[in-house]
Amino acid sequence: MRVVVVGAGMVGHRFTEELHRLDPYIDITLIGEEEYEPYNRILLTELLAGRVDLAGLTMSAHDEDVNVRLGSPALEIDRERKLVITAGDSVEYDHLVLATGARGRVIPVPGLRDGLPRGVHLLRSLNDARDIKAAALNARHAVVIGGGPLGLEAAAALRHRGVGVSVLSLETSLLDRDLDASVAEIVEAASADLGIEFLGGVGIDSVAVRDGHVSAVHLGGGRVIDAQLVVLAAGVVPETSLATAAGLETAQGIVVGHDLRTTLDRSISAIGDCAQTPTGTSGLVAPGWAQARELARSLVHGTLIEPVEITGSAMKLKAVGLDVVTMGRRASTADSHDRVVNLRDASARRHVEVVVRDDTLIGVTCVGAPEIAAHLSTQFDRPGMIPADPLQLLLGTSAGTVTEAVNPTTMPSSTTVCRCNGVSKGDLVREWEHGCTTVEALAEKTLATTGCGGCKSLVCGIVDWLTEVDPPGVDQESPRVGVTAG
Amino acid sequence: MTDTHCPYCALQCAQKLSGEGPTSLAAEPRDFPTNLGGMCQKGWTSAELLRVPDRITMPQRRSAAGGFEPVSWEEALDDIAARVRAIGDDHGTDAIAVFGGGGLTNEKAYQLGKFARLALRTKNIDYNGRFCMSSAAAASNRALGIDRGLPFPLSDLGDAQAVLLLGSNIADTMPPSVQHLGAVRERGGLIVVDPRHSATAQLTDNGGGEHVQLVPGTDLVFLLGLLHVVFAEGLHDLAYVEARTTGLEAVRRSVSEWWPERVASVTGVPETQLRRVAHLLANASPHRGGWGAFVLTGRGSEQHTDGTDTVTAAISLALVLGLVGGGIDGKGRGGYGAITGQGNGQGGREHGQKADQLPGYRMIADPEARAHVAEVWGVDPDILPPPGMPAMQLLKSLGTEGGPRALFVHGSNIVVSAPDAIDIARRIRSLDLVVVCDFVPSETAALADYILPVTQWAEEEGTMTGLEGRVLRRRQALAPPAGVRSELEIFAELAKRLDAPGRWPTEPREVFDELRRASSGGKADYAGISYERLDAGEALYWPCPSSTEDGGDHPGTPRLFTESFPTPDGKAKLIPVRWLGPDDSLRRDAPVWLVTGRVLQHYQSGAQTRRVDKLNNAQSRAYVEIHPVLAQRIGVEGLEDIEVTSSRGTMRAPARVSKDIRPDTVFVPFHFAGEGMVNALTNSATDPISGMPEFKVCAVTIKRSDS
Repeated sequence: MRVVVVGAGMVGHRFTEELHRLDPYIDITLIGEEEYEPYNRILLTELLAGRVDLAGLTMSAHDEDVNVRLGSPALEIDRERKLVITAGDSVEYDHLVLATGARGRVIPVPGLRDGLPRGVHLLRSLNDARDIKAAALNARHAVVIGGGPLGLEAAAALRHRGVGVSVLSLETSLLDRDLDASVAEIVEAASADLGIEFLGGVGIDSVAVRDGHVSAVHLGGGRVIDAQLVVLAAGVVPETSLATAAGLETAQGIVVGHDLRTTLDRSISAIGDCAQTPTGTSGLVAPGWAQARELARSLVHGTLIEPVEITGSAMKLKAVGLDVVTMGRRASTADSHDRVVNLRDASARRHVEVVVRDDTLIGVTCVGAPEIAAHLSTQFDRPGMIPADPLQLLLGTSAGTVTEAVNPTTMPSSTTVCRCNGVSKGDLVREWEHGCTTVEALAEKTLATTGCGGCKSLVCGIVDWLTEVDPPGVDQESPRVGVTAG
Repeated sequence: MTDTHCPYCALQCAQKLSGEGPTSLAAEPRDFPTNLGGMCQKGWTSAELLRVPDRITMPQRRSAAGGFEPVSWEEALDDIAARVRAIGDDHGTDAIAVFGGGGLTNEKAYQLGKFARLALRTKNIDYNGRFCMSSAAAASNRALGIDRGLPFPLSDLGDAQAVLLLGSNIADTMPPSVQHLGAVRERGGLIVVDPRHSATAQLTDNGGGEHVQLVPGTDLVFLLGLLHVVFAEGLHDLAYVEARTTGLEAVRRSVSEWWPERVASVTGVPETQLRRVAHLLANASPHRGGWGAFVLTGRGSEQHTDGTDTVTAAISLALVLGLVGGGIDGKGRGGYGAITGQGNGQGGREHGQKADQLPGYRMIADPEARAHVAEVWGVDPDILPPPGMPAMQLLKSLGTEGGPRALFVHGSNIVVSAPDAIDIARRIRSLDLVVVCDFVPSETAALADYILPVTQWAEEEGTMTGLEGRVLRRRQALAPPAGVRSELEIFAELAKRLDAPGRWPTEPREVFDELRRASSGGKADYAGISYERLDAGEALYWPCPSSTEDGGDHPGTPRLFTESFPTPDGKAKLIPVRWLGPDDSLRRDAPVWLVTGRVLQHYQSGAQTRRVDKLNNAQSRAYVEIHPVLAQRIGVEGLEDIEVTSSRGTMRAPARVSKDIRPDTVFVPFHFAGEGMVNALTNSATDPISGMPEFKVCAVTIKRSDS
């Protein structure tokens, strides 16, 4: 079988890897527009923040028998002859997989309509990230247009580089697709703490350009924000042009069924950001990777494709100084009989919220609580694992790492002092009464301290205590310390 | 007074045996660089093993009534040999299988491998080390070119600024070793990775370091996340990596998909902690001016279907930080090590008990290796069998069509210690002949056709190779009970009856001298190690060839890799790996992870330690450690019994409610038989490279047991 994959982004890359792993004899051709080796697009904002370098973005190279063509965009699909045509060449397929992704949306306002001026950038590709990084060096203030995860990550990254940042959004709150407004307030406050200004519910009139370079952004109400750098993070548009030209059904994206096959041609599939499944289009990598895995399995093993859920996909913000994790439902999207439990701690910029349906955790929202977020994300969607009282989900579950100092006087008699030899405080007291009144004598008699030696200071403490309350050599008739003492 | 070493774990605490005869003999610790004068309860009570009431002192034969009856050695050996011949004639000699153990002395392990190949003429020999060390061994061999558990003395840990301990609970399994972590705890540099806040994890409390309490089965993801952060933040030692390794690019690329937030959602380890750990290790690395760091793995991270890949990632981490071999100049401290479990888990894997191996860590498929060993054995190389089946495959094929019909068991109690143990017991019962050599009637011996009584530690001479690759002398303190024979004598007697070629000495020293020649020139070269040198007190770590260039004694090799790696190009290999997750998956009818491990008082299947009153009184039953939140969910408040069920079996034991365990996981120790036997549940799916079964994680359902 010959499989051609168009699009060498994260999803096309993963699909190719999975397919080759499942069946190394399938003849695979991967066609990519960019000249770079496939890289991790998720980390572009991390690159911008300086928390990862370029080499750290590059993803695994494909096996030598995979035919990889980079820097050579697919120009046309010939469905009759089952050909993908590139500049000066064509590749035959038995099955074609479109993983063309999405492109950044350019808002159609004066100043941007006729091509982007210098200083205005999308944040979709490695080149974009490099350009923004370079532009940030000379920018005093930047405007990020878009208050979703990408916009907020870009804003935090620019702030981390020392640039002043305003985030503009048509929506009234930050991360409005992922957070309810009351929770978004906390994120806005946390962003403000970092020096990120958020202006929600604002329309943009125009982008001012001086000498071919952006100089300011004009808002609807008349306000003008001077900016030497503008980052466009106002959503994406699925890349469907190739599919449309080939006569495939496209709407928001390339229309596919649950089986990821296009509606009009079953020898063509679409996965990732470009695909519009019955559950919607995705802008996140996790559903795209899940689709890649399912499609590869179905091509090799003929298995049925498990529909990949898109709404409620996990969102984990990667932003210096901001911790936001959401999964599944939240208060406003929960059903009336779901249990919604939350802990709000606004002045500490913290909010934890869970949604429980029957015995399953179906929603997590964590702001400013990375430890709990990490724990809850491992419990998400695991039937049967909800505590009897879901309130316990909001509290830390691990044993603390600070233990109380052990007091030889007050510790109960049954407490194990020497783990290696199973010696309790009571055992030591008993031997003390039988005349072992030094650490050495107790060690010889009970073997305490003779294993790892970790209990030595405790045994010394018990000896000090006994010396005080039951001094050796004193009248044998005097009251003794019973084994239950303390 | 006899100076020897403890009978149990790989720390091999030095001990002194005093007293006359089995009734008065007592053990106390000696000062030694590994145990530093300490000994745990198991060691202190070890002399009790000489006094167990059900010690076997006569060969036992299964009677028609189903019980056992004593028989003479002559009768037993004659009948065993006759039946071996008959099975070989009917089914071919590969129908005889041998299962060895990592507790056998080097001499016995060596002779057992030879016995299988020359006397039984079978390829099918493997051993329980496949359940312990095989993943670490496979990963070390492919990345570093050699497999020595710790390629440095244990005491080096005392010089370190950071120690990353993955899946190992040494505070319970080998308590005196904890002394070597004192200094690193003072420096706040101990990092323990374990789903439980185990006794070892508790050493990180109060500023001792970090406890990483991850989801079971995700150790590999945690390591890939550490590698991601190391590369992303440029914390690696580029000069070292360029000079001493190959494969950087592939590994760097393979971890680009494991950014911290993704790691957190799989492992439950917060991004903040992942970064903290990466920085702790990097700052301790020689290239950043640190005093050194060590990455150590134990069974918790190795006993998985991706165990080899997990260890490979651990080695890659140690390599990219420039730790292995002590930094680029070899003068620093640091490296990767596997903490060997069984007493002779190190030596036991070097001298021919493994299906694919000959003595000296030579590979049986290698014509040169076959020629060398055949010459030492005085046989034609062509009569040596090809590689046989690894342990799990071997056990699963017992009694099947075309599989083995007979089994010899030495130093192992498989029906308690193997995964999916009830199935293994069923297979053993279906065999035509089962011969078990043991000194107590273990659960496996109870299924035998013959139990042959053998000597134990204080009754025999020999050598053991501790967890550091240092060869230690085991010395005889008293005569064995009348009627008991050493395995060396049994091999010789059976070899004679089977007309086997080769020499079959019964003196351990003679066997060791032959082992030295057989291992000479191999990776685990013992040629220069002699009883005389060991008895003179020399600290000899293999490889120790017969002599130096100027003809003097070779000093042995306490630290490997200080100059180069024993690979074709002299460099270590960075190998990219991929996480596939546990073989079992959580589901509605099995929503909880089960992990297994040890308690301080017991060793392995408990066949020995359950017979020592003091140990058994302290811990006589299995238990189910469970978090209060999970306990509350199933209606358990205190010590009620919990029934735990996987798709393979069920066990029952009292609850032990503790906040030390993750609320989505239960823990059960594996030393117990009967209804508390957790290996009835564990998964026999194996690592595709090492053959290691996935003991350490399986999906279970739990409920309060009201029966």
